[in-house]
Amino acid sequence: MYEFIAFYIFAISTVILFLITVLSKNVLYAMTSLAGGMVMISGFFFLLGADFLGVVQLIVYVGAVMALYAFAMMFFDTTKDVKEKYNSPRLVFLLGGLMAVVFVVIFSAPIIGENLQVASPITNGVGNAEAVGIVLFTKYLVPFEVAAIMLLVAMVAGIILAGKKMDESLTTTVLPLVDKESEDEILKKESR
Amino acid sequence: MGLEKFKNRNVGTQNYKKLDLTHPPKSGWCRFKQVASRTFKPELFVGLWVTLREMINALFRGKMHTTQYPLEKLPISPRYRAIHEMLRLLESGHYRCIGCGLCEKICISNCIAMETRYDENQRKEVSEYTINFGRCIFCGYCAEVCPELAIVHGGRYENASEQRASFSLFEDMLTPIDKLNLQQEYQGFGAISPNADDNIKKTPLAY
Amino acid sequence: MDGTMLPEVTAVGVIIKAILILAVISAIAGFGTYIERKVLAFMQRRVGPNHVGPYGLLQLAADGIKLFTKEDIIPQHANRLIFAVAPAITAATAFIALGAVPVFPGFTIPFVDVYVPSIASDVNVGILFVLGMMAAGLYGPLLAGMAQSNKWGILGSARTAIQFLSYEVVTGLSLLAPIMMVGSLSFVDFNNYQSDGTWLVVYQPVAFILFLIAGYAETNRTPFDLLEHEAEIVSGYVTEYSGMRWGMFFIGEYANMITIGIIASVVFLGGYNDWWIFPGWIMILAKIAFSFFFMLWVRAAWPHVRPDQLMWLCWKVLMPLAVINVVITGIVMMAG
Repeated sequence: MYEFIAFYIFAISTVILFLITVLSKNVLYAMTSLAGGMVMISGFFFLLGADFLGVVQLIVYVGAVMALYAFAMMFFDTTKDVKEKYNSPRLVFLLGGLMAVVFVVIFSAPIIGENLQVASPITNGVGNAEAVGIVLFTKYLVPFEVAAIMLLVAMVAGIILAGKKMDESLTTTVLPLVDKESEDEILKKESR
Repeated sequence: MGLEKFKNRNVGTQNYKKLDLTHPPKSGWCRFKQVASRTFKPELFVGLWVTLREMINALFRGKMHTTQYPLEKLPISPRYRAIHEMLRLLESGHYRCIGCGLCEKICISNCIAMETRYDENQRKEVSEYTINFGRCIFCGYCAEVCPELAIVHGGRYENASEQRASFSLFEDMLTPIDKLNLQQEYQGFGAISPNADDNIKKTPLAY
Repeated sequence: MDGTMLPEVTAVGVIIKAILILAVISAIAGFGTYIERKVLAFMQRRVGPNHVGPYGLLQLAADGIKLFTKEDIIPQHANRLIFAVAPAITAATAFIALGAVPVFPGFTIPFVDVYVPSIASDVNVGILFVLGMMAAGLYGPLLAGMAQSNKWGILGSARTAIQFLSYEVVTGLSLLAPIMMVGSLSFVDFNNYQSDGTWLVVYQPVAFILFLIAGYAETNRTPFDLLEHEAEIVSGYVTEYSGMRWGMFFIGEYANMITIGIIASVVFLGGYNDWWIFPGWIMILAKIAFSFFFMLWVRAAWPHVRPDQLMWLCWKVLMPLAVINVVITGIVMMAG
């Protein structure tokens, strides 16, 4: 009974929060509702008894959205609305619709095909974290390691991208005085 | 000494003594050594100990530094020029002012107003004496010029009041007759403050 | 509530505990401000608040009245909704985090004969839950700074993000080694692991120090109080706040300090086990009080660091140390 009520509370608030994320023009609202939606999703894990996954969801997405906030802070004036620019609204509509259809098909296919069955049933006496660990290091070892290597690659790439001019200071470097035109030319050249 | 030295604004070439500081570490290994030595030397704990020691001093050894101002006041230096006081003669209790009018004359902001008359003994008597504290600049000339040490600067430095008049009448400034035995003789402008000995301290860099 | 030994733990009990936590901790958090002012004053040989009530004890009430009656100002160009919600996030997450930490040993109410475990909700991933909630609490400063359309505020929230990204890794990795030793994420298991009298800090001194450092960064205590450092960014994220909203930030901060104190006591300092002749509840109160005092002590003694120094410290010094600590712990466990 309680779980039933809790599930609908979490479900409705998740849907509403993510709708705000998509539809709002204000960066602050969008980000905040995204974070709130992530927290609500972790509620589902707690309902299902997967405490560990719920907490991991909480921690990981709190951090991820926090980094997203940092970018929002850099790129937008958070107190004003964002003006979106559509180059071709039709393309956006088409792609968005296509993605929605794909997702619906992916998630509904198993339900239509056969009734869902629990792949790895809960074993008594083994805690949540242990179960995750056992599955992760036996059945899904290869995907796990591949994901780790992917993250490593991303990290190295990030360091290389950022580290090119790391030993030059942006603030103390004295640029030679150039007139506006040549500065623009230099910028163009660099952007090419 | 000529003015040249004052006009030299080139601070970089003056004779400053440079402290013998250690050089900042150059290589990564040196920097690591610095970090390691700072981590394992108990420098941080010296800081903790200093604050704890001061807390013990304050709580248990009575070295609390606070003066709880409205309740307790530090003695004020005789050099301080606060609200004036009119003193009395210690023997007779009569006020010292002889009505010579020098203070009124010398007052550069024209804030002293006095009226005098002869009493029945053909002695000068002060009938009106006011100081306008809206004008007074507390220069201290009146006290300096007074031949009888009658007007001095006292210790009343809390000047907030609803009415200036509550400071400025002769009767207000005069020592109350029942407190004549508490009247302090004026030490003079060069005098040191009564608690000067307590104020002498070691430079607080002993640690 | 996994009911292995526990008899009935009804919903009523949980609600009572939640109300108790809310009431007691917010009172203690308010009282903590008085303690902080007093201790800092003593360490600087001042008297501190001493006019309201005996020894200034009623200063708390005076502050409360002041905060409640102060005008609640929302700046003109601020994002009103987010501005209003942000303080509630800080306070609420601080209290939610406290819901999953055990403070006292379980006890039996006399006459009624009901066994009461002193924890509102024994989540079996308690440590992660508390850390996650405290991390979510940083959304308060972040949103507050961004919503108030104030330069100092936005600097404060930028620093929040920096600080969060710095300490989070260290907190997790430093707690990982004790978690490996105990083999559980539940605070109660941590406490029972140390019931033989040997504190975990003996086995894991490095992890303890790392956790303390990261915990100070997590609660914005002094060596790392970058978010609202007056000398640099006026008040950071609370620049535009006044009245009770500001007070909620304050209560949240102090509740977080208490939480860190409880975690440090339960995980590293032997929890609420009896020690020598002292019963467990006195021991844990003493430990929490000491770790609270230590935070104030550190604030009186040490200067604070720059944001880039914090990042350097966390990523280049503390994180490798934590990783090495975890690896060594693993090797020793495998060997032994």
